[in-house]
Amino acid sequence: MENLDINKIAKMIDHTELKSNSGQKKILNLCNEAKMFGFVSVCINPHYVKFAYEQLKDSDVLVCSVIGFPLGMNTSRLKALEAEQAVRDGAEEIDMVINVGALRDKNYDFVLEDIRQVVKASAPSHVKVILETCYLTDEQIVKACQLCVEAGAHFVKTSTGFGAFGAFPHHVKLMRETVGPDIGVKAAGGISNFKDAIRLINAGANRLGTSAGVLILEGAKFFKFAPEAWLEPEIPCHICPSRHANIAKLPKAVYAYYKKKCLTCEYRDKYNRFYD
Amino acid sequence: MFGWMGKIIKIDISNGKQETIKITNELRRKYLGGRGLGVKLYSDMCSSQIEPLSPENALIFLTGPLTGIIPTAGRYQVISRSPLTNTICDSSSGGVFGNQLKKTGLDGFIITGKAEKPVYLLITDNGIEIKDASHLWGKNTQQTRDALTEKYSVKASVASIGPAGENQVVYAAIMNDKDRAAGRGGMGAIMGSKHLKAVVAIGSKEIQVAHPDALKELLTKVDRLIDKNPVTGKSLQLLGTSVLVNVINAHGMYPTENFQRGVFNDAEGTSGEKISEVLLQKRSACFKCPIACGRSTKTENKEGEGPEYETVWAFGAQLGINDLTKITEANYLCNELGLDTITTGSTIGCAMELYEKGVFPHELKWGDADILEKLVTDIAYKRGIGAELALGSKKLAEKYGKPELAMQVKGLEIPAYDPRGVQGQALAFATSNRGGCHMRAYMIATEILGSPVFMDRYSINGKPEIVALLQDISAVVDSMILCRFLQLAISISTFTEMVNVVTGLNYSDDELLEVGTRIYNLEREFNSKAGFTRQDDMLPSRFLEEDLEEGSSRNRVVHLDKMLDEYYAVRGWDENGIPMEVTKKKLGI
Repeated sequence: MENLDINKIAKMIDHTELKSNSGQKKILNLCNEAKMFGFVSVCINPHYVKFAYEQLKDSDVLVCSVIGFPLGMNTSRLKALEAEQAVRDGAEEIDMVINVGALRDKNYDFVLEDIRQVVKASAPSHVKVILETCYLTDEQIVKACQLCVEAGAHFVKTSTGFGAFGAFPHHVKLMRETVGPDIGVKAAGGISNFKDAIRLINAGANRLGTSAGVLILEGAKFFKFAPEAWLEPEIPCHICPSRHANIAKLPKAVYAYYKKKCLTCEYRDKYNRFYD
Repeated sequence: MFGWMGKIIKIDISNGKQETIKITNELRRKYLGGRGLGVKLYSDMCSSQIEPLSPENALIFLTGPLTGIIPTAGRYQVISRSPLTNTICDSSSGGVFGNQLKKTGLDGFIITGKAEKPVYLLITDNGIEIKDASHLWGKNTQQTRDALTEKYSVKASVASIGPAGENQVVYAAIMNDKDRAAGRGGMGAIMGSKHLKAVVAIGSKEIQVAHPDALKELLTKVDRLIDKNPVTGKSLQLLGTSVLVNVINAHGMYPTENFQRGVFNDAEGTSGEKISEVLLQKRSACFKCPIACGRSTKTENKEGEGPEYETVWAFGAQLGINDLTKITEANYLCNELGLDTITTGSTIGCAMELYEKGVFPHELKWGDADILEKLVTDIAYKRGIGAELALGSKKLAEKYGKPELAMQVKGLEIPAYDPRGVQGQALAFATSNRGGCHMRAYMIATEILGSPVFMDRYSINGKPEIVALLQDISAVVDSMILCRFLQLAISISTFTEMVNVVTGLNYSDDELLEVGTRIYNLEREFNSKAGFTRQDDMLPSRFLEEDLEEGSSRNRVVHLDKMLDEYYAVRGWDENGIPMEVTKKKLGI
């Protein structure tokens, strides 16, 4: 990463504002920043799609709308209708949330059809499917990726940013290995600086969802000075989902899965100061 | 000329003789202004053996090429040899004094000599006049400001000393615009030694910008960068710098009772949140600043500015005091008397520990807030116990045979971050050219606040290189001159854009950063000639040998030696911390 191209990173960033308390002024700022800093899209709630489209129609910034957000538990028909309207309002990208409960129940036919309906309703806009990886084991993530490919989705995406934790390189790598080079992998959730961004890009992400895009790009300008020092090898536990597994926020089985991984991890003894 | 005004006046205050100092374009390009140009001019003008409080010593006030143009750039820099540390020293202050000074048509002025009787300088579009200040001598900084603005104009900006500067307390501050301080290193004592009570600046000249349209566009982007950064766009605005009290305490590195502990149990009661709740009247800002971290506050008895983070610590946790009103009033008093709050509080803390250890004869107990007012006043007037405290912690602790109890580097007191919890900041304290200062390289940004990225605060890996980088960027910022908080939100590349659109020059990022490297090396060169070596890049033994017993920074010490070796190698200095010939040659020193 010695020749870090800041413009290339900008073109990987969905400049995101999804909070329930965000007013129109925030969305206006978001659109202006996206044009100013050269982001690929603004990622927003459906309510603001029309407004954002008006701000961006003369630029090359895309409008991306989330669908079934943030829980993914709406009916398939409602998700499809929501996507259809978002596209009609100007969305060129759709980020839908998978039905995590159905996936964990192994109700794969339902999950496949749920995604298919949104893909169909969104055409020709591209669809990214949010897996909410924090609630899934590695095996479930692999299965979800396979279903997304089969359903014709264009991207798989890690997180909503509203779950127990966000994107980790481990999950991104697993997703990239599963979907191959022809499907996009979007990392989202908890990406707050250029070190996070570089880590996830190196793991296989070709799109980043973050509200910290401006900070990431400005911070990345430090990188050319002392690049090795800024990117000192990470203590593996810092970026391991097991380390961030929280008993209060995760399903029992998923929490147990991550903790088991932690107990048997090769790094555990070396970095056991984290377990003092 | 764009950015600069193109004129610096040297004035011998003994006889009033004035001369214009010629600054070549090459010199401006190599040193910018403010700290950088000041250090260069000072090094050329004064020997490294000069006595700081002698008439021969020079005191330099400078603005920078961005002063009066960019938000936050109302600042000025004062450069000389510190009477507290004997290092080369620059002290920076906000407000609007820098803007007013530059609008008189000067980039700055240099004072030498000593007036026979107290004087002040009146600087207007027509030049510099020396005026009698006999009637002001003895007045505090607020009274001095009020008298001079009443005489001249409410638009006049006044930088003055108080009784502490008059009495040459070696950590006396210069105060401007009521409550802004060029606080560190005793620049106020040098003013006092020259019988210079104040400087009044009233200017109306235009500052020329090379590319006004590009500047407008750039400032829109800067506004977004400041707004999007959680520290500059939110925390500092809402809670001021004291937002750090709870943050640093939670990290177990909030120095308590002279750095004996890293957790202050009463932190919440002296936090930024509490200040906002019980004292805050309104936010206050320096020149065009959108952050407005200043706090206009009011207690039952008085009103004023502050306390900011370092001060609420210096009169709070450092002394085991939890009375926010008394802390705040001690801050007001320092502003009026013209004292550096960090050194004042830290020196009192040192005395309290000396008393605790049974070697200091005067009773000073942890947590005793009632003594603050008298102690601070006595320091400014050098009377009673105050005469001893006016020495600063290093000399005080040496006097009582316990030099290890002074929490200082090169004689300058370390501010409110226990180095044991932040290895990079520890190295920054140790290698700071003006002594124990957090502003030479604010490693807290990366080690605690995650700006621009989080670095493991306990690790020494990569820290020497990043400390050197931040020291160099800081030297650039102090020379342009901008508020250092912008450094949290803005990279060197954006600073380069600023300098280029304002001055019309075409610095590359690398060249601008090299300006910072050059300044840092020149400062180091001056200190080396003055006798400073590796032994002075040292932290108090407490940080190298004693663990903290509680909090999340417990069971750790600073690994300074390992980092120093690597740092010197990064810098191109020899094993004694002295710049090598090849380094100086490369930088054109």
